[in-house]
Amino acid sequence: MDFFLNAASAVLTTGPLAAMLGATLLGVLIGALPGLNPVMAIALLLPLTYSMDPLVALAMVAGIYNGSMYGGAIPAILLRIPGTPASIATTFDGFPMAEKGEAAKALKIACWSSAIGGIASALALMSVGPLLARATLQFGPAEYFWIAMFGMASVGVMVGSDPVKGILAAVLGLLVGTVGIDSLSGQARFTFGQPWLLGGLDLVVVLVGLYALPPVLQLAEKCDLRGLSAAQLKLASVPFRKGEVRSLLPTWGRSSLIGIFVGVLPGAGGNIAAFLSYNAARSASSEPESFGKGNPQGVAAAECGNNADNAASMIPALTLGIPGNVVAALVLSALMIHGLQPGPQLFHQNPVLVGGFMIEMLLTSVLILLVGGAAATRIFAQIQRLPGVLLVPSILVLMCVGVYVINGRPVDLWVMLAAGAAGYLLEKLNVPLAPIILGMILGPMAEQSVRRALLISRGDPTELLTRPISAVLALATLGMILWPLLRAIKRRRAKKASENKP
Amino acid sequence: MKINKIIVATALLAGTTMPALADYPQRPIELTVPAGAGGGTDTSARKLAVLLEQKLGTSIAVLNVGGGGGSVGASQFMQARPDGYALFATWNSPLTTVPQVQNVAYTLDSFTPIASTSETAYTLCVHPEFPAETGEEFLAELAANPDKYTYGNDGIGGTMQLAAERIFQARDIKAVAIPFGGAGETLQNFLGKHVDIYGGSISPVLPYVGSKEAKCLVVTSAADVPALPQAAGLESLGLGDKETLLWRAILGPKGLDQAIVDTLASAIDEAVNDPSYVEFLAANGEIPNVVKGEALAERLKSEFDALAAVSKALGLAK
Repeated sequence: MDFFLNAASAVLTTGPLAAMLGATLLGVLIGALPGLNPVMAIALLLPLTYSMDPLVALAMVAGIYNGSMYGGAIPAILLRIPGTPASIATTFDGFPMAEKGEAAKALKIACWSSAIGGIASALALMSVGPLLARATLQFGPAEYFWIAMFGMASVGVMVGSDPVKGILAAVLGLLVGTVGIDSLSGQARFTFGQPWLLGGLDLVVVLVGLYALPPVLQLAEKCDLRGLSAAQLKLASVPFRKGEVRSLLPTWGRSSLIGIFVGVLPGAGGNIAAFLSYNAARSASSEPESFGKGNPQGVAAAECGNNADNAASMIPALTLGIPGNVVAALVLSALMIHGLQPGPQLFHQNPVLVGGFMIEMLLTSVLILLVGGAAATRIFAQIQRLPGVLLVPSILVLMCVGVYVINGRPVDLWVMLAAGAAGYLLEKLNVPLAPIILGMILGPMAEQSVRRALLISRGDPTELLTRPISAVLALATLGMILWPLLRAIKRRRAKKASENKP
Repeated sequence: MKINKIIVATALLAGTTMPALADYPQRPIELTVPAGAGGGTDTSARKLAVLLEQKLGTSIAVLNVGGGGGSVGASQFMQARPDGYALFATWNSPLTTVPQVQNVAYTLDSFTPIASTSETAYTLCVHPEFPAETGEEFLAELAANPDKYTYGNDGIGGTMQLAAERIFQARDIKAVAIPFGGAGETLQNFLGKHVDIYGGSISPVLPYVGSKEAKCLVVTSAADVPALPQAAGLESLGLGDKETLLWRAILGPKGLDQAIVDTLASAIDEAVNDPSYVEFLAANGEIPNVVKGEALAERLKSEFDALAAVSKALGLAK
């Protein structure tokens, strides 16, 4: 307890507090602007902090990271444009809610869910972090393979009304994921002799094109010369109705756990956490068909899941010295610049700094409630008042800037454009886009893991099933595939029973 | 009149050639880093850029061009104009390792070496119960049990794998290479005992040497590394000529003026040896190492040739 008391007294001073407040707002802004993402922002910011008080620097990292995960939900709900890759799942129900005139409520749910996910994750980091980190070491290539398969099995839940088109989309994602140098053989695949394809198609570039361009084009199609008037834009704060918070509690609990689990595993990310949370909420719901049509549970699940990933993703970095994602790697490099050696003894080396950073992850999650809600409705939502003829080009410019900054290669702009054109066409053909991203993220993860596992077992495939954790994960995957089938059979029986009754 | 003409002519001449040398640098410099933001190459380049800005009195913009193990950034950079305002901050792999396995548009001659900045060795570590206590015993155990042990590395055909294979080939060792996405991933799989041997940079594994969860027995530098007392340097194993390091350098495009190279090399020398940079390097397990101009070209050439031989023997060469 002393550990956190000492750290808290260092954090609760003007510098770190001001940094947290400013950075959370900045994070919401970065998240809300499609194309800009927190990784880039933190990477650009950190060198400027080398000479700063480390607690102030880390406060900025925490604020931007947590703020942006929520910020991504704002355009996702209002315009169906995911502000960050992790907010794709938020569009599924967030935008239909906005179309029904419930934008304010969707934003409020996103805000609360983000804060709760972030708080749960930070508490996990502060309490069971080291234990969790040790547990993840048991996950080797075989286990990672099954996690990827489990995620892919969930595509079945996402394919929508036309399974053939859904599977087609997933296969398309798998195909795009194979482009580039195969990391296990060193051979180039589908690069057509183009050096810029050697590194593969950048995930974020494709995602921005695929998910943000079609809604922008749709806005352009409407060609409205006037935006919403202030009267039409009813975004005044709506209080939660009685029982509403209670109905969201199970979703928040489930999504927090999923987000923390995904976050602790190095290599997985906020977008996977959001997708898995969304699917879990849908599977657990008594009316799964209402998902995708503006169910508040869908927004809550996705937003809670992606924020719960954040602090948890710092667990392997702070306790083992193993960064699970780029932001964690940046935090580690910031700590090393201040003379700390990441690893198990980090907590003893500088408890004030490590504990302080954890508290900052917690406080910035709480700050989302304070600044996030107001920022969303008072500032960002006002962009809806811009007429389409102004909004469309502004968003396009922002997207191009964001995409160019990622790798500094002009060719990425063409990739984004091509992905956007493909996404636009596929949407017109009623092909769901969500399975594409799952294929793109999980395909390479599954392929590399299974090949590593087989290299380690010298080609013996039974080792994929005989290890206890991988056996459990394999069963879960099987259950995920069979679940809709069992449910359909059960429903048919119930129907028959009621027909036979009269 | 004649005199006037001469004055004008000299002025013109001076106007076209002199400022590049005398007043360099006059405008901001763009520093291309062939890796994404946030990695080791990026952070060390950005930190160095801050110090170089003070020494050179101009601002330096870092441009991250990731992909292809650094080859995308290198290919893009080789087209830059050799005016001293486009520089390239890289680690050795895109220049000496990647061209062995990939078809790339550049050769070593596409660049003007300016100065190296820092270097660090790779290490091979095992679990405490591994039946060896010294580098010599470790290599003997591996040689006696071909294909029994797995070692994690930073990627197929990567510098780390080639560094290990140079040693293995000299001792007729066969171990199973398991490529991971980086030292962090390798460490995770090593600590979880999914692979037998950790192969990667020193700093991530260092805490586990202290906690006795890792036993580091070999480093890929000729000399021993003070931070890893149990590990043998290659010189002591009689393999001094098989040294392979991870090192970083700053280069210009082909045909960069010698005067600019000299200006930059001395500024880099000062910046690298700035106490704050030395401290930064130490935190990352690196040491300053400034090799300039021709000597640097020589170093690149000999490393390229040695790695070409290893990758050919491994069947990795393109």
